[in-house]
Amino acid sequence: MNGGPTASQRFFLGILPENPVYRQMLGMCSTLAVTNNIQAAVTMAAAVLFVLVCANLIISLIRHWLTPYLRIVIFTLTIATFVTVADRALAAFVYPMSKMLGPYIPLIIVNCIIICRCEVCAAKQGPITAVADAAGQSLGFGLALVSLAAVRELLGSGMWFGSRVLPEAWPDWVIMVLPPGAFLTFGLLMGLVNWFTARRAGKEGA
Amino acid sequence: MTDDTLQIQPAPQPSGPVTDVAPSPHLADSGQTTRAMMVDVLVALIPVVCSALYFFRWHAVRQMAICLAVCLAAEAVFSAMRGRRPPLADGSAAVTGIILALSLPATAPWYAAAIGSLVAIGIGKSIFGGLGMNLFNPAMVGRAFVMISFAGALGAAGYQDPQSQIDIMTRATPLTAFQQSGVVASLADLFRGSTNGSLGETSALACLIGGLYLCLRRTAAWRIPASMLAAATVIALLDTGLSPHGWTVLHHLFGGALLFGAFFIATDPVSSPLTHRGQMIFGAGIGAWVMLIRIFSGYPEGVMFAVLLMNGFTPLINRWTIPTPFGGRLNR
Amino acid sequence: MTTMSAPAAEVKAPPPKDDGREKGSFQGWLVILLAVVFGGLLAAVELTLGPAIAANKRNETLSRIPELISVPAADSQKLDIQPLAIPVTRDGKTTTYRVYRADRDKHPAGWVIQATGQGYADRIEILLGLSPDVASITGLFVLEQKETPGLGNKIAAIPWRSQFNGKPTGQALEVIKGGATQASQIDAITGATISSRSVAAIVNRVTADLRDRLAAEAGKEAS
Repeated sequence: MNGGPTASQRFFLGILPENPVYRQMLGMCSTLAVTNNIQAAVTMAAAVLFVLVCANLIISLIRHWLTPYLRIVIFTLTIATFVTVADRALAAFVYPMSKMLGPYIPLIIVNCIIICRCEVCAAKQGPITAVADAAGQSLGFGLALVSLAAVRELLGSGMWFGSRVLPEAWPDWVIMVLPPGAFLTFGLLMGLVNWFTARRAGKEGA
Repeated sequence: MTDDTLQIQPAPQPSGPVTDVAPSPHLADSGQTTRAMMVDVLVALIPVVCSALYFFRWHAVRQMAICLAVCLAAEAVFSAMRGRRPPLADGSAAVTGIILALSLPATAPWYAAAIGSLVAIGIGKSIFGGLGMNLFNPAMVGRAFVMISFAGALGAAGYQDPQSQIDIMTRATPLTAFQQSGVVASLADLFRGSTNGSLGETSALACLIGGLYLCLRRTAAWRIPASMLAAATVIALLDTGLSPHGWTVLHHLFGGALLFGAFFIATDPVSSPLTHRGQMIFGAGIGAWVMLIRIFSGYPEGVMFAVLLMNGFTPLINRWTIPTPFGGRLNR
Repeated sequence: MTTMSAPAAEVKAPPPKDDGREKGSFQGWLVILLAVVFGGLLAAVELTLGPAIAANKRNETLSRIPELISVPAADSQKLDIQPLAIPVTRDGKTTTYRVYRADRDKHPAGWVIQATGQGYADRIEILLGLSPDVASITGLFVLEQKETPGLGNKIAAIPWRSQFNGKPTGQALEVIKGGATQASQIDAITGATISSRSVAAIVNRVTADLRDRLAAEAGKEAS
């Protein structure tokens, strides 16, 4: 390896210190769009995990032959292929979920998280590190999505994973499952993450 | 240095005390403390509160009690979290609570009032950095949140309670009745306030008394309600002129929350523009939006959305209308 | 070759490394190779999963048909469902309805019609079940809607849409606020009159457009 973090470092960096959503603020479109229930968030995270691991692995294997002016084409080609595979697989095996996620699975092609990992890690480091990085980043993405979806689904429909957890008397906060709820929840949760990080760093909590 | 070379001189330093010349508003005016302004607003709200109590009785009491209590508690908690002494004494949280309560229907469930108050103070104000920093009118942020969340209880149909002991609460609001079945309310009812609606909006008379007091005391910038009502009148004239349907310009002005919004909501000094020209643009924008929403959208009333929308434009309006100092050049 | 003819002083720096250029031409081949490999992969995926996806799409509509024509789900295997496309011209505009004709033991069991119309927020797509003689409605299902959550989206919920069951197709249905009493009346959802009326309007259009056509079709079979 020519420098750079090791495989295990890459893995753990992706989960919180370099969380793609809360720290890098990448992939906002799908983050805001698919988090009104936990099942959709989990499916989305799984699709991203599959695409990112495959893309990172392939790019890492061919990294010695990449030249600056053609690398983006190769990244996009690879990502688009695996996104299509993921999209077709969802449509074949979990059709209702595929319909619910609508365009957001195909839109993984333009999700910055994936091309960013190809560029930052896979194009420079070996396949094991690249796969560890992909797994860490996808887990971080999944964690962020599920945390958002947990708040939104609970307040917005009184449910988790589609089954009722709050009493029937709970008035659903409809705004939480609508786009404004996504922005509000995201802002508040990011504030919370920053506050914890600041406290852990020993700084004065803001 | 020789005389023929151009010398670059430092800017002349003033030798004596400087008189600062700035266009109004003079924010440092010691006569206008936040507390004094808020007390003025509360005084101005007295006629509106009285009409709400008279027409909606204990529903109004309940709504105002919940909103006041939650707003004050939220202000205390959030200020403490930010490491500040609770600035309850400035009265701004109380004003937000009363205005929010008066903008809710009598039928609104208790949790709507409580959540609305929490959101108004928390998301509407504290997150931006407290009083003076908020971009949007806190009471309207809270109301928009609960209105979208509990559309069934707070939407047009939520105002009606067929089982209510209070007669006016069994009827649809004048704007809804007109929009859905073309029923035109009597102007006298709209003026007195004996119609259904949000607690504080029904009586045009009470809003006018309180509003004129605010404007005469210079607590509210008179340009905002004036331009808002003017813009609404112009569009109402166009609307009724093009297709006369019994709902006159006066109905448009006295019905719904137009007057309450013009005097008590749009005039919030924090979320409205500072310059005179800006205040005219702001007011006219709200008036126009209210009428467009009333006439063309599915919603019977649009004051809340109009105020929030123009709040978003306030920083831009402030920049557009920076006054040119006397003798200064336009340098933008 | 240009470097040879130019004076030495004007010679520009050659490309950084020779193997960089070779790498570049190889990269062209790499892109083509990857495109072929990935293309093959996608073709394989499509060949494997394509039929399953097509079946899912078909089933989405077909699986609703038994309940819409009041056939118990257990008997759904006995149904013979035949899709038809029926063009209807009204006021110079031609709409082609997708109609499913369900037969059970060679006898007509009912009709299911797919139709769309404008709702409050966006288009509403419904499936409407009609009795074999096209005299009454046997079921309504909302396939697609984006009405206001909490208000208008109740059109997709069973309590509201089951009101349509048993309604006659002979006269246009009317949406009433609070307390529908007559056979041709439907209760509006409180606070969502527009969504309610939209669905009723689609139903009315379908019955007006297709009633006679389908009745003729059914009569033809019987004779």
